[in-house]
Amino acid sequence: MPGAIVLTAFIMNIVKLATISLRNLFRNSRRTLITVLVSAAGFAALAILAGYMDFSFYGLRELTVCKGFTAGGGTGHIQVFRSESLKKEELFPMQYGIEDSEKIRADIESIDEVSFTMPRIEFNGLISNGDKSISFMGLGVDPEKEAGLIQYWNSLEKMAGKTKMSDAAYRQLEKAGPYGVLLGQQMAKALSAEVGTNLMLMSTTVDGAVNVVDVTVAGFIRGAMKSIDRHYLVAPLETAMILLQTDRVSKIVVVLKRTEDTSPVSGLVEAKISGHGGKVFFSVIPWEKLAEYYYSVRDVYNIIFSFTGIIVVAIVFLSCTNTMLMATMERVKEIGTLKAIGVSNVWVSMMFLLEGFFIGLLSVAGGLVFKYVFSVTINNSGFKMPPPPGMSSSYLLKIFSAVEFLPWIALLIIFSTTLSGLLTLLKIRKISIVDSLTHV
Amino acid sequence: MPCIVNSVVAQLVDVSKYYGSGEGRIKALDNVSISVRRGDSAVLVGPSGSGKSTLLHLLGCIDKQDEGSVIIDGIDTSSKGLDELAPLRLDKIGFVFQSFNLIPVLTAYENIELPLLFRGYDQGYIKHRVNEVLEMVHLQDRMHHYPRHMSGGQQQRVAIARALVGNPALILADEPTANLDSRTGADILELLLYLKQKDSITLVLSSHDSVVLERISNVIHIMDGRVSIDSPVF
Repeated sequence: MPGAIVLTAFIMNIVKLATISLRNLFRNSRRTLITVLVSAAGFAALAILAGYMDFSFYGLRELTVCKGFTAGGGTGHIQVFRSESLKKEELFPMQYGIEDSEKIRADIESIDEVSFTMPRIEFNGLISNGDKSISFMGLGVDPEKEAGLIQYWNSLEKMAGKTKMSDAAYRQLEKAGPYGVLLGQQMAKALSAEVGTNLMLMSTTVDGAVNVVDVTVAGFIRGAMKSIDRHYLVAPLETAMILLQTDRVSKIVVVLKRTEDTSPVSGLVEAKISGHGGKVFFSVIPWEKLAEYYYSVRDVYNIIFSFTGIIVVAIVFLSCTNTMLMATMERVKEIGTLKAIGVSNVWVSMMFLLEGFFIGLLSVAGGLVFKYVFSVTINNSGFKMPPPPGMSSSYLLKIFSAVEFLPWIALLIIFSTTLSGLLTLLKIRKISIVDSLTHV
Repeated sequence: MPCIVNSVVAQLVDVSKYYGSGEGRIKALDNVSISVRRGDSAVLVGPSGSGKSTLLHLLGCIDKQDEGSVIIDGIDTSSKGLDELAPLRLDKIGFVFQSFNLIPVLTAYENIELPLLFRGYDQGYIKHRVNEVLEMVHLQDRMHHYPRHMSGGQQQRVAIARALVGNPALILADEPTANLDSRTGADILELLLYLKQKDSITLVLSSHDSVVLERISNVIHIMDGRVSIDSPVF
């Protein structure tokens, strides 16, 4: 038989088996409905889980960029360091700081994808109210630019409708002038400090001497993590420079218009600033490499989500297998008849695989409806999730559409329902034709 | 061997079949040898449990003998498994069962076309041939009906049409009239004999029905798994 005819015959056989499969599904409509509902719920569960995962990872990513999970504040999208600062231990503060940062920032800001840049100084020392002194991890910032980073978060379309992050603290810091300071809430509590309270910052200058600067509390800032909050303070860049007696900065933080551009723009930034400092080399570090917390959380989430996914798929598979085995037992006579008239085991099994496949298709269709309904309900419920471990603020639950995951989830569901038909293969092979013809 | 002729369609040679194992082992067929010539008909007769159905199953290659050989249209099936024999059943054997055994979710037309579909014929031929056999069994007006919407007699006609549609070398009918009332049973028998006459089909059936025994001269008596034959040539 020529190939085309063989192919046509093959397709015709598949169509006929598909017809039998579909009609059998509708013949036992109640059982099919229950199986489809279970599988559709499985699809919806996975899709919602993927949507939550997408939301969590997106939120965590952007939160890392804007606010950060360490004393260093938001990572921005890219940070520029002097290479030595990443390789060597400084003998004195700001030994490997960046000089002439304004010029470098101007060059970086000439890149289209860059929104703005900002300098930061990381410093530490003691803070005292006269009676009590505690250690601090300080961040010298440009308050206006830091407020800009918060505005970047607030402008994220995917987070639209969520509680806006307030930049009031940075505005207060800007308003307070060079000797204002923002304290972590726990630190303020420890020092019994209020807005307007005068405190002293003590640190080591670049020359190794001890320097003291009087500051006034301009406001409070909440660190992303409670443990950091007790030792966290933010001061204007000038205050940090005066305290350390330096005109250098620790790093330059680059904020892009879109996080997705981080990788290509990193290369552009590197090209722009190479050779800037003569013998001084710079390292351009994308946010991913600064976000240990993001990755550790993501790894934990991935394990939880994978485990949940496996359970859901197993439930779908078992439910569908049960249906398939019941269908096989109910149709022993039909199977025997087909085998008796010369239909091979492979074709008969194909009929059940197709049945599983159709259950999968119906489940995906139903699951999409479920997913849409649940997502809309959850997204409009205003439900707040408790703060993640180590964090101080709760967040509004949102389910993203996770469109890129849906085809994979659909494939997973269809694969598991189809595969459930495979178990019937073993059953079908064992069914005796003679016994099945008289099966009731 | 009672009968060996040139155009033999089906042949059992020293075939034995056992059921069960150990002390409960029963010999369903005991060293049976028969041959069926092309175009002939025969009826298997015997009490319940005598081995009629077992013999038909072995002839139809839907069961395997424990000893001896089963040769269908010149092909020795002894060394092949039942699934390997599926193409042979599809091409050379047509079955008519006592309880019709139609696929409930397929219409009369779709039930009849099944063997042709799996043989790989093109749609044009399938349509022509299915309509032809539907006409033979007088069911053109019922072709789009599902089995549940047909009487027992009509269902058996569909089953006969399904058995005939592929022009098989051998048609086996296992008590085809047993589940029908006497009048419908007689009609079905008439139909089978008419089709046999018309298309020279080879027909082997089992039956308790005295009407059947009156109409078919070649009778194979089976008793306790042993065969005796009234007419040496059939």
